[in-house]
Amino acid sequence: MKDKSSRAAMQSTRPAQQDDSIAVEAQRWQSDTRGPYVQAHPERRDEFVTQALQWSVNPLYTPADLEAVDFDYLQDLGFPGEYPYTRGTTPNGHRSDFWTMTQVTGFGKGLEWSKRARYMLDQGLSGLILEYDLATTNGYDSDDPLVEGEVGRAGMALDSLEDLEQAFDLPFDKLQYLMSVCNAPQPVNLAMIIAALEKKGVDPKDFVLHIVNGILIEYTCVGRYIYPPKDGLRLATDCIEYIIRHHPNWAPISIIAAQLQPAKANPVQEIAFSLTIACAYIDAVLERGLDIDTVAPYFHFVINVDMDFFEGICKLRAFRKCWARLMRERYGATRPEAMQIRMMTSPTTTALTLQQPLNNIGRLAIMATACALGGAGESMTTPLHDEAHSLPAEDAIRVGAALQHIVAHETGVAETIDPLAGSYYVETLTKQLETAAFAEMDTIFEMGGALKAIESGYFQRALGREQYERNRDIEQGKRKWVGVNHLQLEEEKRQIDIFRLDDSVEAEQVSKVQALRARRDQAAVDRALDEVRIAARNGDNMVPPCLQAVRAYATHGEICHAMRDVFGEHRTDSQLGGI
Amino acid sequence: MPQGTERPLRVLLAKLGMDTHTVGITVIAHALREAGMEVIFTGLKQTPAMVATAAIQEDVDVVGVSSLSAGHTRSLPTLARLLREAGAGDKLLLVGGVIPEEDQPLLQEAGVDKIFTMGADTRDIITYLNEWRAAQQAGHS
Repeated sequence: MKDKSSRAAMQSTRPAQQDDSIAVEAQRWQSDTRGPYVQAHPERRDEFVTQALQWSVNPLYTPADLEAVDFDYLQDLGFPGEYPYTRGTTPNGHRSDFWTMTQVTGFGKGLEWSKRARYMLDQGLSGLILEYDLATTNGYDSDDPLVEGEVGRAGMALDSLEDLEQAFDLPFDKLQYLMSVCNAPQPVNLAMIIAALEKKGVDPKDFVLHIVNGILIEYTCVGRYIYPPKDGLRLATDCIEYIIRHHPNWAPISIIAAQLQPAKANPVQEIAFSLTIACAYIDAVLERGLDIDTVAPYFHFVINVDMDFFEGICKLRAFRKCWARLMRERYGATRPEAMQIRMMTSPTTTALTLQQPLNNIGRLAIMATACALGGAGESMTTPLHDEAHSLPAEDAIRVGAALQHIVAHETGVAETIDPLAGSYYVETLTKQLETAAFAEMDTIFEMGGALKAIESGYFQRALGREQYERNRDIEQGKRKWVGVNHLQLEEEKRQIDIFRLDDSVEAEQVSKVQALRARRDQAAVDRALDEVRIAARNGDNMVPPCLQAVRAYATHGEICHAMRDVFGEHRTDSQLGGI
Repeated sequence: MPQGTERPLRVLLAKLGMDTHTVGITVIAHALREAGMEVIFTGLKQTPAMVATAAIQEDVDVVGVSSLSAGHTRSLPTLARLLREAGAGDKLLLVGGVIPEEDQPLLQEAGVDKIFTMGADTRDIITYLNEWRAAQQAGHS
């Protein structure tokens, strides 16, 4: 009896004793061992900080640090595939399947896109990302004088259903996943894709169409918006609702935190801005009569990782946990799927340099490894090492695809689940990120949520400050960047090929859309465009009238203009970047 | 003119066409302001004609265009021509962003005074502007 109770007493005090003794020992180590050493060998720099957050980094992390942030294994981590999903949303990490490996493509005319897409599928990629040119993403046809010089450059020119009919000349058996990157005119692009798949006879159940549909990020930092924020939010909500009700196997929304990061959002802002933005859409969709357990699993995030290895890894882990907590605590979600964040990860292009571009391959490999270590998500996309120079060349596409296979097959990082869990540093930083992100989310919710934060310019100003300060750190050498402010070469020889789009693409695209307008049934087009205006005014879901207009071969720009007639245009450009 | 009454250098920063990448131009705007210059931002989605008009109306010394899509080979020569035709060819015309080397001669011939590619140091840009200003003033006196 006596033995038993004393053992119980010992057990109950043991963890605290252990931690105390570690803290005491750590102090002893500091004064006896490290202190004298550092005196003899002064440190490389005055302060060690993380790259984006500029948070102080300790020389050593021990269990005492976990104690300080109130770390609790079962509460903070639990097990993979279970709440709060810090260690992963699936129970087996990447031991059952690797992430889907994708790359961005899309430029020129539909036919050229199709050719490049085939090339990429042949390189072992199973998913494609379709980007549109800036004329399309801003809602103008190729022959609009405003977009002269941009047609087919930053992505594919999409003027009418005809363009997608040509672009979709693809082996759909190899293609498991297609992501369409478009925000402001999203109902129009969605309608075009649906109509093109119908024409090709592709069963929409056989693959996943994923539309980005993230207009609120455009107002925050990207700038490719058309209509005022509240109307933009309504159109996005229309697409989400339409897909959930008609194509439940598709993905109707992505929150591209990966656009906040290049706008220099730090990881806390990335988590807080993108999750509160997600809440703005969720609130709007819930108002349409859907419930949180149905809606939440449709949300998808694209998250970049920068060169600070641990900031990146911990950010991915914190993202998973913050989403799970938000869905359970704010919305009362009960389905596990509603609390499991879906994400695509990516090395960031902003870590890449124009100088000595081949060095970027090294950077991409390191960031891709960080993505894998943080739990890559369902898919990973790699930018290409020559992106700072120009639009990517074919050689770079091959290297970019190989890079993911190298990380997956050769490094061993995917052989066990969440391999860095339990690292004193990783767990401390993960927990600190979570705490700071929730504090920032509270601030945003208090000002009325993400839509209000955008309308008041709060997000934009916050990012503008970060942009200036991060750049200053590099110029002043506070952060060393190889090729930029460290190990620069005097005379740099060009080491890469540059992909060039023929200028004739624009001319051909212009005559193609004009020829289409001349031969189609104009009366049918006019009627369909009227229906678009009526639906816009009535607050109806915009996807069905857009689909009707697309089938009548109304052009992309015409449909966008019909909605401009009703919504007007957003013109507070100078808010961007807080300039 | 005595140093003390010298008006600050006025700079119009512009984004042409559908290119909406704003990080670079934001950094430049903050840096130039910190260096004592007056900075005016056109906003997004401008045509060359809109920028030329703004440059004249705002009576700026410098027009800086940020270009991160590939439209610069057409839009910048147009802007340079419009400025010249409006009698404002003496304004310094700068471009920064993703400008491949082989496009640079074309832009220079078209009237772009200086090209800063991605990664240019804001301190170099400020030095360049101050030296240009000093040369202008030396030329005028």
